[in-house]
This record gives sequence, structure tokens and C-alpha cells, in this order.
Amino acid sequence: MKLKLLIASISLVSFSGIAGGFDLGKLLEDQLRKNRSHSESTQPADGSADTQTNKSRNKDEALAFGLFGKYSTQDEIRIGKQIAGNLLGAVPLVRDDGLLRYVNLVGNWVAAQSGRTDLPWHFGVLATEDINAFSAPGGYVFITQGLYRQLNSESELAGVLGHEIAHITNKHYLKVLKKSSLINALGQAASKKAKSDDQIVQNVIGNGAEIMARGLDKEAEYEADRVGAVFAARAGYDPWGLPAVLQTIAALPPRDERTSLLFKTHPQPEVRLSKLGDAIGDRFDRLKGKELDNSLYRMR
Amino acid sequence: MKPTLPLRMLRTSILLGAALTWSSAQAAPGTLLRDESLRTQPSATAAVSGRASRGTGVNIITRQGGWLQIQTASSKGWVRLLSVRAGQGGSGGAGLSDVVGVATRRSDPSRVVSVAGVRGLNEEDLKQAQFSQQELDRLDNFAATQSQGRSHASKAGLVASNVPSLPRPQSSSNSSSGPSNSSWPEN
Repeated sequence: MKLKLLIASISLVSFSGIAGGFDLGKLLEDQLRKNRSHSESTQPADGSADTQTNKSRNKDEALAFGLFGKYSTQDEIRIGKQIAGNLLGAVPLVRDDGLLRYVNLVGNWVAAQSGRTDLPWHFGVLATEDINAFSAPGGYVFITQGLYRQLNSESELAGVLGHEIAHITNKHYLKVLKKSSLINALGQAASKKAKSDDQIVQNVIGNGAEIMARGLDKEAEYEADRVGAVFAARAGYDPWGLPAVLQTIAALPPRDERTSLLFKTHPQPEVRLSKLGDAIGDRFDRLKGKELDNSLYRMR
Repeated sequence: MKPTLPLRMLRTSILLGAALTWSSAQAAPGTLLRDESLRTQPSATAAVSGRASRGTGVNIITRQGGWLQIQTASSKGWVRLLSVRAGQGGSGGAGLSDVVGVATRRSDPSRVVSVAGVRGLNEEDLKQAQFSQQELDRLDNFAATQSQGRSHASKAGLVASNVPSLPRPQSSSNSSSGPSNSSWPEN
């Protein structure tokens, strides 16, 4: 994987260095066309021809994701499910059914304000004291038990979930995947190693849940702060939930190992606070949302 | 997970210790993130009681909605929540959410956990992760429907409202929604 990433970074550097003189998309498109005509010409004359064609078409569709970032809602869910399943392999859900039910109710209500009612939203609490939250395409949102413990109200939970929901609605992870899958697609088109859709999805995603450890670019995080705070406010919550959580995180001891991954993958809290402050200004002054500090489910 | 008795006692003593700290100090440290006017009330229309510049160390006294009451060396007043960074930014702090959250609310003993011995979720754990269908099925079991979400909201008295999107601040030049110029993640 390390080698692959190294190749990826070298390739990206060299592509950007000779931009204009070299069309990667065109190269891959040609390769795709070649693949298709090859598989059509080599089809057996018996009844398995249809299956062969379908297989080839599926593979082409998956390649199309890599080439042009084209994907259906179903692709999005399939990719997200793979990432979510991998993440849950690293850290399981808490054994507190009441908490899981509660987080899904709050999360669903906030997600309903996002406009993505086509996604099957799933919300989970991860059994780790690490302080963090994650999301994957297709409506998968996770908050750690460690972060949940830091919350003081349902409006703060809504703010955190809103931030993660925003990563999904704004397709931040899909944009990261598009970049890496471009390279993978090139490899696949050349080697034809991928045998199934699932394998293509797996190839695109990479091993385990490492995409969660890579993080997004800073602008994506600032955007998720702005959009997430608005989703929570639209749901009728006090709009200061997310800012209050950012303050809580800012005030944690700096070398607390529970936040090491969070700070590796997110901009420093003071910058997030400052950027969000620039965006909000006086815009939330007239909002009268509910904090619901007594409604927050107490962990068992 | 039920804590063992010694752990419970430890938690109680930490909690008592924390409670004593709050009652004696009742303030958490912070730093101003921008030049600010301190106001007599938590409102943009309240009278200005003083001014402080970016980088000033402050004590945060309490929070009310989107406002924090702060004390500087020379004045006391209210500033916007996002004009201050809570904590000591590098030197460690007793801050936590004492003031931002807890000061006005009851304490939850489950919040006080021993940090010692807790291993964080690290990059290696994530890389090595094996797909878990079992946990994914469990996640599926707890998924709520939209109508369940609506019903939860209505019981809590939450009313959806049409809050406009926040514009991207002028100062930030690039957006992730445009052509991304971010560098490839280092690895």
C-alpha cells in the first residue's frame, strides 16, 4: 500500500507538472473502450454471453467512478458500507442499546434537514475513549464514546452529528476517493486484475479504514463546521452546540492521547473557532433554538 | 461497564476535587481570537464596557448562548463565544468544559474518567481493520426511520426552521467544493 501511495503521489505531481500536455482522462477512456471491444470480441457463443456482458458493464461502471467520479446513490452506499464495516472492525459499537437508539433518533432528525432523504442514515457510537467522530459516504456517521462523554446537551450532539452529516452531503470523502481511484482505475484497466464489483470497491477504498486516518483537507473541515451548525439550527436546536463542542475540545490538555488522531486529521481548534466565527458573525443572533441539556442520554 | 469499587472511589474523589476547583476559581483560561468590544450584557446592542485585543489572555466566567462573560486584566464583560479560544493552547489546562458547559449545569460523574491507561484509536488500528459484518448488522438494527426522528423531535418540542446557509468567509480563498488544490495526504 505504501508503495502504491508513493506511486500515486509521484503520479499526481507529474500530472500536474505537465497539465495540458497530457490527458489522463482521455487515456483511461481509450483503455476503457479497448477493454469493452476486447470483451465483446472474445465472448463465447453460448448462453453465458449475457452474463459476460453484464460483468464487463459492471466493471466499466466501476471504472467510470474512477475515471470521472460518476456514481449512483447505490455506489455511494456500497462504498460507505465497506468503509463503515472496516471501521467497525477496528472498533466496535458500544454495548448500550439505549444510547444507539437515541443517537439514531437525533441523527435522523438532523439529517432530515440536509436534503439527502434518499440515504439510509446510520448513526453509531464507537466503544473507544478516543475523542473523535467519523463519517463515510452513503449516510454512515460515528461518534466515539470519548467524545460523547464531553457533551453537555442534545444540541451539542446535534452539532457534532451535523458536522459529520455535512461531510456526507458535501461528498468530501467521495472527492478524496475520486483522486485515489483515478490511479487505481489506471492500474485496473492495465492489469484487469479486479474480478468483481466488490473487489473494485475494495481496491478503490484501500485496506482497512485507513481513509479515516488520512483526513480531509482543511477547507472541507471548515465547510463541514459551517454546514453542520446550520443543519442543527434548522432542526430547531440551539445553534451554538457545535461551537461549544469545539471550545470543549480546545480546552482539553494539549498532549491528551485521546485527541491525537483528531488533531492529526483536523485543523487546530482555534483556527476552526475563528473561521466559524467569521462565517457566523451576527447571523445566529435572532435564532431561538433549544439546548435540551436535560434530554441528553446518560451513558450506562 | 460497571466500574470496580476502587475506581468508583477514585472517580468520586476526582469529581470532588474538580468541584472544589470550580467553586474556588470559577473561571477557565482562554485567549481572544480577535479584537473585541466587551459588552455589559450578552447582546450585540448592549453598551460597551471595555475593549481587548487579539491574543489577550482572559478568564472565562460563564457562557450564555452564543456569548461568554470574560475578565481581562482591566475589564469584565461579554464577548461572542467564537471570539475566544478556551484553554491554554499548548500549556495544558484545567479548563475542559467547566465553564463552557458544566458550570451552569449539573455534573455527570461519567464525564470524569481516568485518562491513564486509555489507549487511543490509532492509525495502525484503522489500517489493520478487518471488515465486520456482525457490527454492521448491529448498526442496521438501530437505524431509525424518518418518522421516528420526527416523532422524537416533536416530543422534545423541536421545530424545524428555514435557517439560511452560511456564506464562506471572504478570508478563506479556496473551497473543497471547487477544484481542490489540496496536497495528496502524506503517508
